[in-house]
Amino acid sequence: MSMTPRQFEARYEPSWIELERGLAALDAGRKARRPSAGEFPTDKAVPPGAARVAQLYRQCCEHLALARERAYPPHLVDRLEALTARAHQRVYRRHDFGLGALRNLVLYDAPAAVRALRWHLGLVALVFLLPILLMGVATWLDPHFVLTVVDARQVRMFDGMYGPEAGEHLGRTSGDDWQMFGFYIMHNVGISFQCFAAGLMLGIGSLVMVGYNGLLFGAIAGFLVTRGDSERFFSFVITHSAFELTAIVLSGAAGLKLGHAVLAPGRLTRTQALMRAARETSPVVFCFFVMLVIAAALEAFWSSAGWVAPGVKYAVGGGCWAMVLAYLGLQGRGHGRPADGESQAR
Amino acid sequence: MTLDTTLLAETPEGIAIVLRPAGAVARSLAYLLDFLIRFVAWLVAAGLLGGVKGVGVGVMLVVLFALEWLYPIVFELLPGAATPGKRALGLQVMMDTGLPVTPSAAVTRNLLRVADFMPVAYAFGLLSMLLRSDFKRLGDIVAGTLVVHADKVRLAGALPPAEPLAPRVPLTRAQQVAILHLAGRARRLTAERVDELATLAESALPPANYAPGGANPAPIRPGPRLIAVAQWLMGQR
Repeated sequence: MSMTPRQFEARYEPSWIELERGLAALDAGRKARRPSAGEFPTDKAVPPGAARVAQLYRQCCEHLALARERAYPPHLVDRLEALTARAHQRVYRRHDFGLGALRNLVLYDAPAAVRALRWHLGLVALVFLLPILLMGVATWLDPHFVLTVVDARQVRMFDGMYGPEAGEHLGRTSGDDWQMFGFYIMHNVGISFQCFAAGLMLGIGSLVMVGYNGLLFGAIAGFLVTRGDSERFFSFVITHSAFELTAIVLSGAAGLKLGHAVLAPGRLTRTQALMRAARETSPVVFCFFVMLVIAAALEAFWSSAGWVAPGVKYAVGGGCWAMVLAYLGLQGRGHGRPADGESQAR
Repeated sequence: MTLDTTLLAETPEGIAIVLRPAGAVARSLAYLLDFLIRFVAWLVAAGLLGGVKGVGVGVMLVVLFALEWLYPIVFELLPGAATPGKRALGLQVMMDTGLPVTPSAAVTRNLLRVADFMPVAYAFGLLSMLLRSDFKRLGDIVAGTLVVHADKVRLAGALPPAEPLAPRVPLTRAQQVAILHLAGRARRLTAERVDELATLAESALPPANYAPGGANPAPIRPGPRLIAVAQWLMGQR
């Protein structure tokens, strides 16, 4: 044995202690204090800075490798393992999660990630819009068709929400704005998360969920049109639907992407493909989550306001649709920033 | 195939870091604890806000939403990387590379709870945990995260102090390792058990009545002799 464990420990322990102090200082969030006059950076009073910690960490890795290779006693190896693991977390932690990252996400990454899903988006939009159209026309021709997707009690409820007796507050049976905001958040976010997570079932789940919601929406819209409530209904939905329907399609497309990765992993293993798809769709998830919160707020406080003239609502709603589509379609285009810097970094 | 449930994560320096993934039982208990905490938090919120009509109900629903979706994400991104339930059981969420969990991974693993929950009561999640050697649920697989026991099990501590004695014969490395490991565990065992185990290594230990000076003191039991040899191997002369 070239060096006994005792000699090894005696020679290198000071550097382990220095690393421990440096990590503790970094954990405490204190920046390394600049050494004052007459004090050397290696003095005990000054914890080592980040650069020194990185250097000590690499040294510590070497010591651990030596200790394992030479089968030093377990307490020594354990100590080095714990220290290395702690330093590893500190050295390789990602630091770029501040406001800058959020800004990049909103300005570039989110719309770019949405555009990268264009084929999935197209398919999901088709699966969503086709049932709306078919069901809408079917119910418009024969109002009884609505009963194929919802039961009579719910139909009466919708009738009450948008019928002539709806009065001051549209789109609800009771409750005030705040109460409905809470309800919409719970309900709509739940639907979208289900559309997303159901994608893990080979993507079929997402399509089924989205298609079913399309059927529901089409049936109710068609039914209300035949009842002569079209203006009240459409002026109610136009504003928040810009965010809500888009969010449902986005969540379905993100879910479909996950399912697609499982079905056709390409040259990766299925798990790797799935993880990659999750990384690529996570900005989309952020995007539809924010949109749903906006939609819930609009639906509770703006869409339901009976006193706003339908013309104004159509104008604002149209504006919102244009804004959402322009954001997703155009924002950050030609910026040249790699759409998925994260996967390249790995 | 090893029976251990440890997992090795390799660092860029070529060092393998040992992770201990947490199994279905520990994680279910942590979930139940979290569920209780959230339930109590919701009861408190309901008690405070229930009196206020309209706004109160709305805020209550927003609180319910936050407790359901944001509670795990926020706690897993705080230092410690664990919800209170996980913390109580000594669990921690990290990336399967051994690094701290990233925000996008925390969001992904918690949104995909929906998939784990299907068809009922986290059946898919449990099934996935039971089938995999790293105990990941679907959300963990997709996000590349791992729930681990934060504390390491330490079987061996520092060697008890002793006067060194040279082994009777030169030892191979495997023999040295065995002796060092047993000596490291001596503090956790009774003296009788250490003796019993050390008897197995009798052929490597110095004779019971051996003494460096040549005197012939009372015979020493095998346990202390093994520890003395371990100290000699450590480099004490």
